[in-house]
Amino acid sequence: MIAGPGYHRPVAETIEALERRIDGLRVAVREAVLAGDRALASAHRASLKRAEQAWEDALMTATAPDAQTAPHAQAASEPGQATHPRAREPAEPTGSLLPLREQVYEALSLLQVPAAPKLIATVHEAFFGATFPTSRVTSLKRDEERSFRAAPFSRPYYICAALSADYLAPSRGLLAISTWPLERRVIGSLSPRVDFLTAAIRVAEAIERIPEPPPAARRLLQRFAASIPGASSPPSPPATVKEAAAAELTVHKDADDRARGAAAARARPLAGAEQLFGTMSFRELAIRTSGQTAGRAAAE
Amino acid sequence: MTASPRPSPAQAQTQARLDRLRGRALPVNHNARTIAALAANPGCSRRALMDAVGVDKQQVATHVGFPAPFGQSQFAIARGNAFEAQVKEGGAAQLLTLLREHLGLDVGQAHYHDLNDVGGNETALVRHGRTRQLLTGAALSAPGEATGTMFDHPMLRLAVGGRHAYLEPDLIALQHRGRFHVVEIKSFAIIDGQADPAKVAAAAIQSAVYVHALRDLLGGDPGRVHYETVLVAPRDFSSQPTVATVDVRRQLTVLRRQLDRIASVEGLLDLYPAELTFDLDPDPGGRPQRPPGELADAIGQVTANYTPDCLATCDLCFLCRDEAAGTTGALGRSVRTDLGGVEHAEQVLGLARGTLPPSQERAEIAAQLTRAARLRTELLGTQLFGTEI
Amino acid sequence: MTLLTSLARVIAAQAGRAQPTKTRRHVHLSSRPLVLIPLQLAGEACAPLAAMVGDDRDKPLQLAVYEPRDRSRRFEFAADLAETVLAYIDGFAAAEPEEGQPYPDAPQLLVPNLGGVAFARMLGRSTRFRRTDGEYAVRAAVPLLGRWLSYYAERSEATGSALLIPLTAALADHWATGQSAMEDANLAALVSWIDPPDGMTGPEAARAAEDPVRYPPAGPVTDPTFDNEVLDHLVKAVRDAAAGGGTPLARAQAATDAALRSQLEPTWELMWRSVDLLRTLPEAASVPDRWKSDRWSFTGQVGWLREDGAPQPRRDGAVAAARRLARLEREQQRLAVQRAYDDPLVMAEYRLTGEAFAGTVSAADPARLDTEGKRAKLRPWITVRTADEVVLENGTVLRSPDRPGQDAMIVDIALSGQLALVTLELKGGMGQAKVAPPGTMPAVGDEVTYTTLRDEFQRAPEFPERENTPWTHGGPPADYVPTEDDAREDWS
Repeated sequence: MIAGPGYHRPVAETIEALERRIDGLRVAVREAVLAGDRALASAHRASLKRAEQAWEDALMTATAPDAQTAPHAQAASEPGQATHPRAREPAEPTGSLLPLREQVYEALSLLQVPAAPKLIATVHEAFFGATFPTSRVTSLKRDEERSFRAAPFSRPYYICAALSADYLAPSRGLLAISTWPLERRVIGSLSPRVDFLTAAIRVAEAIERIPEPPPAARRLLQRFAASIPGASSPPSPPATVKEAAAAELTVHKDADDRARGAAAARARPLAGAEQLFGTMSFRELAIRTSGQTAGRAAAE
Repeated sequence: MTASPRPSPAQAQTQARLDRLRGRALPVNHNARTIAALAANPGCSRRALMDAVGVDKQQVATHVGFPAPFGQSQFAIARGNAFEAQVKEGGAAQLLTLLREHLGLDVGQAHYHDLNDVGGNETALVRHGRTRQLLTGAALSAPGEATGTMFDHPMLRLAVGGRHAYLEPDLIALQHRGRFHVVEIKSFAIIDGQADPAKVAAAAIQSAVYVHALRDLLGGDPGRVHYETVLVAPRDFSSQPTVATVDVRRQLTVLRRQLDRIASVEGLLDLYPAELTFDLDPDPGGRPQRPPGELADAIGQVTANYTPDCLATCDLCFLCRDEAAGTTGALGRSVRTDLGGVEHAEQVLGLARGTLPPSQERAEIAAQLTRAARLRTELLGTQLFGTEI
Repeated sequence: MTLLTSLARVIAAQAGRAQPTKTRRHVHLSSRPLVLIPLQLAGEACAPLAAMVGDDRDKPLQLAVYEPRDRSRRFEFAADLAETVLAYIDGFAAAEPEEGQPYPDAPQLLVPNLGGVAFARMLGRSTRFRRTDGEYAVRAAVPLLGRWLSYYAERSEATGSALLIPLTAALADHWATGQSAMEDANLAALVSWIDPPDGMTGPEAARAAEDPVRYPPAGPVTDPTFDNEVLDHLVKAVRDAAAGGGTPLARAQAATDAALRSQLEPTWELMWRSVDLLRTLPEAASVPDRWKSDRWSFTGQVGWLREDGAPQPRRDGAVAAARRLARLEREQQRLAVQRAYDDPLVMAEYRLTGEAFAGTVSAADPARLDTEGKRAKLRPWITVRTADEVVLENGTVLRSPDRPGQDAMIVDIALSGQLALVTLELKGGMGQAKVAPPGTMPAVGDEVTYTTLRDEFQRAPEFPERENTPWTHGGPPADYVPTEDDAREDWS
């Protein structure tokens, strides 16, 4: 039987009963999916979520330090320890006491080029000892924009977007620092490659500054090196990587600078929020049309 | 062949008939996989008609009580996405490294264009427009003045059955001699230089669809888009990517034939009454209201060509299999061939027992069947094994 | 597929039950096989998820990989699997065989289907090059398991070998169901046709067996709805609990074990049921002979590994490949003949194609002599009355499964209504006397079968030694030297 929203459950369904119900609901979801009944599958999934929540709550109660019956007594003997198995978020990382935005600032400052959340997290782990999940980085950009709009320019820097050269729209997946020159924050067609090479050089330099670079940093440099001609065979010492990256950069630099310069010129007149987080018009359009999934355009 | 801007009266009428056949639902969009699958069973009118019209076969099959058995594991999807993301990160660094060696790109050819959206706009129409703009521009640029190298998730378009199918290859690469290569990123492994042949075959047909669409976009000169496509996949048991060339000339030929066949769907339409429709009659909530028996009748009016291969490719497979029960074809193509092409199990048994007098063409197979039946009876008897025949 | 087997399918479809296509069991079945059911994670080349393994149907051992995307766990899994598999294999190589003899028995692995064989091949390939030292060291059992699995996978390609058997293939070889070969690849559906439960027909049971919720697939691929609705949560739960450890981790692992058991146990039962079904057939006469070849091969492999032989290289050199292909072809031919000789239902195929006929001896002349030439030779004649269609010509030399050493040449065929009277001249196997001793040739009233099929001993074709591989085939192959790469095989 599936419990609907109005069904009153008797007090404290036992954990075992909950587990049985959860198993039953999982079977029901599977059967609904196999039967092609999406609506039923969704309904069951919703019930499943509620049952799982109830299970977690029941476990928390059972393993709390002041529980009378102690089926999980050993866990209860360590007060303060999180004992429910499904933490909402993974445990906080050790190390950094800085807020996330500062850590992202640290990593970007090392790289000196716009970067994706994954790279930012890896760089921070390699050089500053602490890591963070990339999902938090992605939501950071949203928070920064909200903060900026609420009180423009009130903070010394903002973690902001990189802008695509063609439409000055926010470049997907990239973060930058607001205090950087505009040229560095616009992305032309050669910029991803140029920034990759530049980042490699920065990482190499950062390693050279440390007497005993951690293995994570070396591995990061190795990953860069594998995609740079002249430095791809391991082990690639920082000097080799710098040299090889610089060599390729000379091929792209002029064209990239020109493209970025032209884009920056167009971006300069933009208002603060647009200049930092991308042009409004395209984003508004995107929000308006986001209901249409790609490919469902009717015949023109 | 791109659709002409204004349909002729005849085309408009065909379009109306196709719409009527499909019913109220929006047409299901073709993608490379579904177009490729059209080549799989050319003799099946049921599938040909439904695909040409854009019927959601899965919904239809479910409503008549035969939901399709296909599903995708989250793990496979996640793995595929993760591998693709890995290969494309850092300005597609890993991909660029592979392509440089494989296609002989110049160092300066490192441009990257992200066509997943256009300034935030993700609609197919807009992406297609931008894709066309960038690709034709890149094609026209002088050698040494490269403006594009890698185009990430470009949006191509192909006219199929009077509608546009939007197709998204993983990547298109432009080489310095002005030739485009379709690049597909897959997550099945290439181990010791070899990969699962079935998977490679599927990838090849998909890539052929993209090659065809790209040639179409660039104005038809086949030299512009190479028939050698690039397959990027994990090497051995690691996540490091490796590259393989896939020659799709044969697939292109088959595909062209298939597309031509679909283009002449009017001929197929003429065989069926004008009132025929696969409409589901959905209620305001979207749930189908059409009596399943009525829908089944409608489907039944269009002949299918069920073979066991359908079980791996078509959403209607269980329905058609049920329909085909009692035929030799349901047991397999080779079984029907072995039995001299006799279509129904009843006939086979009748010929074997001698209770069904054979026609002229059936004389030979009848003789063989009676001999075969006699042998089985002689050796198995009726008490110990088997069944009396 | 032949006319006979296709007819059998049609009969099965009408009868609602699988029909036998063999009267003998043509595959060796160990008295103590090792059943192995692997499950793998979708989307990767070789990401083991779980396995159920054992040689005792009441004692399955279940192994699980709680974090299947973590590559290092794979080698832990391989090490755990190795413990069981290697212990099983070692049992057969414990005592030294007699002089000039192979080991008296050999380990036999049973997997559910061809996917299981592919899994063994993949796991073998991904583990046999690993090193036990250095940065990516694994336990010693891992590369050893890899070599054994690769060996077994290779042997399974040899028709006639019974060292590694996918049971779907073995069952489908002996029974025709009323469904397609493609559907036969589903072990549950296949067994349903052969042995439906009381009150159900074969097709009813097979259709029910297609429900992956009630009848989990035999693997290695899992059902996508299981992956999405059950496994996904469990893997996440283990991952979330991993940092803290303790009870929550144990609980998450136990939940995973239970879920995986639900996917493995039904197949475990099916595997042993399949073994029982195959055992209902009497063993074919040539099976012990073929098994002896397998035992020889096993003996050789044990020796090779004991001498610390190098693992199988990734690809064959040209000569090795050609040799292997030729050997496979020879084995295939020999197997076909043996099966026909062993099993009248297989011989029936050849009777239908005109390569054989069977009937009753209606006349015999055991004292007939051939007086041409210097010495008179004993050349008895028999006449066989048969209802089979005889399309052979005079002068064709035939053999009988009952007397494989005796040639029978057709000297006359007379048609009499629906019957044929075939006169044969016999040579060999009757000693030096001037009259064939009783029993050395067919007597009047005997049921006999004669066929053009012969099992000649074929010499292996001459192949160049590997140093002399012709340049057209890439020149001599480089000697196999294990490299750092093999051991490393990128971890990122």
